Amino acid sequence: MDKASRLVEDEVYEPSASPSSWQILWREIKRDKLALASLIFLGIVVAAVYGVSLILDQKQIVTVDLFALYQPPSSKFWLGTDYGGRDVFGQLIIGTRNSLSIGIIVTVLTGVIGILAGLISGYFGGTVDNVAMRVVDFFMILPTLMIVIAFVAAVPKYSVVSFSLIMTAFLWMGIARLIRSKTLQERELEYVKASRTLGSSHLKIMFTQVLPNLSSIIIVTMTLNLAANIGLESGLSFLGFGFPESTPSLGTLVSYARNPQTLEFRWWIWLPASLLILVLMLSINNVGQALKRATDARQRRG
Amino acid sequence: MGRKLTPRMLLPLLLTFMIVLSACTSGKGNEGAQPPGPTNTQNQTEGENKPKEEGLYSIEDFSNVKTNEGEPIKGGSITYGLVSDTPFEGILNYNFSSGAPDAAVLGWFDESLLAWDKNYVFTNDGAATYEVSEDGRTFTFTIRDNVNWHDGKPVTAEDWEFAHEVITHKDYDGPRYGSDFTNIEGVLEYREGKADKISGIKVLSDKKLQITYIKSTPSLLTGSIWTYPLAKHIFGDMEIAKMSSSSAVREKPIGFGPFKVESIVPGESVVYTKNADYWRGEPNLDKVVLKVINPTTVVQQLKSGGVDLVDSFPIDQFPDNANMSNVEYLGVIDRAYTYIGFKLGKWDEENKVVAPDPNAKMADVNLRRAMWHAVDNDQVGKRFYHGLRWNATTLIPPSHPEFHDASNPGIAYDVEKANQILDEAGYKKNGEFRTKPDGSELVINFLSMTGGDIAEPLARYYVQSWNAIGLNVNLELVEFNTFYDRIGNNGKDDPNVDVYQGAWTVGIDVDPAGLYGRDALYNFSRYASEENDRLLAEGVSEKAFDVATRKAIYKEWQQFMIEEVPVFPTLYRSEIVPVNKRILNYAIGDGTGIYLYELAVTQDKPFVAE
Repeated sequence: MDKASRLVEDEVYEPSASPSSWQILWREIKRDKLALASLIFLGIVVAAVYGVSLILDQKQIVTVDLFALYQPPSSKFWLGTDYGGRDVFGQLIIGTRNSLSIGIIVTVLTGVIGILAGLISGYFGGTVDNVAMRVVDFFMILPTLMIVIAFVAAVPKYSVVSFSLIMTAFLWMGIARLIRSKTLQERELEYVKASRTLGSSHLKIMFTQVLPNLSSIIIVTMTLNLAANIGLESGLSFLGFGFPESTPSLGTLVSYARNPQTLEFRWWIWLPASLLILVLMLSINNVGQALKRATDARQRRG
Repeated sequence: MGRKLTPRMLLPLLLTFMIVLSACTSGKGNEGAQPPGPTNTQNQTEGENKPKEEGLYSIEDFSNVKTNEGEPIKGGSITYGLVSDTPFEGILNYNFSSGAPDAAVLGWFDESLLAWDKNYVFTNDGAATYEVSEDGRTFTFTIRDNVNWHDGKPVTAEDWEFAHEVITHKDYDGPRYGSDFTNIEGVLEYREGKADKISGIKVLSDKKLQITYIKSTPSLLTGSIWTYPLAKHIFGDMEIAKMSSSSAVREKPIGFGPFKVESIVPGESVVYTKNADYWRGEPNLDKVVLKVINPTTVVQQLKSGGVDLVDSFPIDQFPDNANMSNVEYLGVIDRAYTYIGFKLGKWDEENKVVAPDPNAKMADVNLRRAMWHAVDNDQVGKRFYHGLRWNATTLIPPSHPEFHDASNPGIAYDVEKANQILDEAGYKKNGEFRTKPDGSELVINFLSMTGGDIAEPLARYYVQSWNAIGLNVNLELVEFNTFYDRIGNNGKDDPNVDVYQGAWTVGIDVDPAGLYGRDALYNFSRYASEENDRLLAEGVSEKAFDVATRKAIYKEWQQFMIEEVPVFPTLYRSEIVPVNKRILNYAIGDGTGIYLYELAVTQDKPFVAE
């Protein structure tokens, strides 16, 4: 009896309140060593890429140097040079920064648009829902990739921002659908009705009461979307529809491997970028999977 | 093949990866001393292509003739690779086709009635011989008695006449009709339907044909005569408009060359068997298989013996594979050059002439000359192309050794000189960049092509070089077709293009009027002057029949173009082709005196790389 009550004290009563969703997420990551390592690795990469790219001079990196074509890695060029005599390490850093920036911007923008659309249509339902979902349907049946490619070809000069906006325009529907379906469930719950009876405004209920209850699912979706969006930019650049070569990108570096000579004899041009993409994707996915488990009490490890 | 003829056709050259090129200047630094064209000398050592200095090669070290080692076996079969990432079109008759891939397919089973030497002048070594009349306008051709079509019917003078009648007919849908044909007496009357026959063409007997031309020019002897007959017993009853899509062109093509077509997989492969009745003699090989192979797999195919010969080889893959043990590399200077052009006017669609604009942005010759001085093409050739393309000096490439002026040094790389010219011409520096002499802003738009591995850094290098002398140059890269549309392939020049980088494959006739004449649509720089008109006209006049006089005229023209700089040549090119070591009697280039029927192998299976 005595022993049992001690146990109960230790495990249940010591935390003063029930854990917040953030704490659950964090605890889940801590329990999963792989996810923790991935998170730390991601932190280091992001810090390094954004930090180092502040020092690097992009103009100098994309300058063609006739006398340094295809140099293997050396103390001067840490990862060698490509067929234009351009430093691969510098391109890798700036390329990663561009890819990451696009991934983050697109994820945040699609998140904001998707959440707004999903919340409004799910919360109000009826005609609003119908109209919003038909708009979503319309966007979903568009051949997204083809349109992005056509846009990119039509816009003569595009930057990280314009590229992100183009991609955002076609990528917000998935998250909108998800949020809508969750909101539909949520609005039937007692607390929403109670709040409404007490006279809270729709806006207040949506954003301060329903939204926080969806936060964990939003975090998970957006984390997994981040990996996909980074991949999408690299993929387009690989196909030649992303950034021009004067703007370094991971996809461009990987696409150099389409030349059989480069693939066979000059690994330093494409291998680091390929590995980096692989490791980045895996890391983000590891973190995302851990977060996903955290949102479902039955799968939690912690 | 090397034996494909594009009679005086000046084709916009595809700067694509499938074109294999190479060549390097002999002595570094002296731009004048170009190698004197393809030679028949043997390669120094067997197949060892040693770089002279840090990865540099020179076309001089390549022979265009395969070294023969070992004894031929009887019969045998070889595989020929058509290096391309697209299927071949499949218009398999010289009278209707124009594409280079189709020409590679055609070369095995059909040929020109007249042969030509290494200066591209018609000789009497071919299936027909010719005689010229005193005034140089009337040609009498005699087809050899033993020249027969693959179905056994003789090739007759009527077949030759028939080819002319089809091409000049108004229903003809192929690409061959042009000034070569309008120069024949009576063609215009025939085309308009006023005459049943072309009055200038007379069939004298079964094997004798006489053609009378309106104007005698030296070009007649270098490709302006149509030398491909059309089998009248097959095509005679067909409607002219339907010929090019008929099965006699697409599926069961006919010729009189050393091999016959046995079967065709459209766009992919062709199987040939030997034509035992070939007029030069029975071919050594029993069978030839032609297949299309992708540029990315060509090296693997060569190493494993999957192909014995290829029509071309991607140059960027050469340095890494220079020591492939089972092949010998043949090399020849290509009839092509890369150049940078300046937009000096527009195309006058109504009168079909160029309309130079004296107020064009690039109208100042000093600006153009400074831009030539600013680029170091010697290093471009060495670094990007391992010396397999090299600094160009004049607008007649060394593939025409008789007319290329090797003593002309062109304009050398000299940044100080470039700056000095601009300073003196009044282009003052305002901050980082120079302004026009009147003080207004100068922004030059440079258009270049994508495609090919080196296209992007090369274009960027030129922009950097011009930035370095204080010129504000914007680069735009577009794909091949867009590029030629915008610089005026259809007469509508994009006014936003000031400078562009293009390339030409030149015809076998040296006459450059098709590229730089006043009435040439392909004169993309839209440059014209009376002096230029005079020199171009003199080059094809009757007095130019004397080679020394013609040389002097073109020497003057080359120098004149260097002074005027409407365009400037950047790189000369050459072609390198690997050949399996079991192959005997093979050569690339023109006028080698080695013919396909002599092709033989030393063993049944191709050599495989160690």
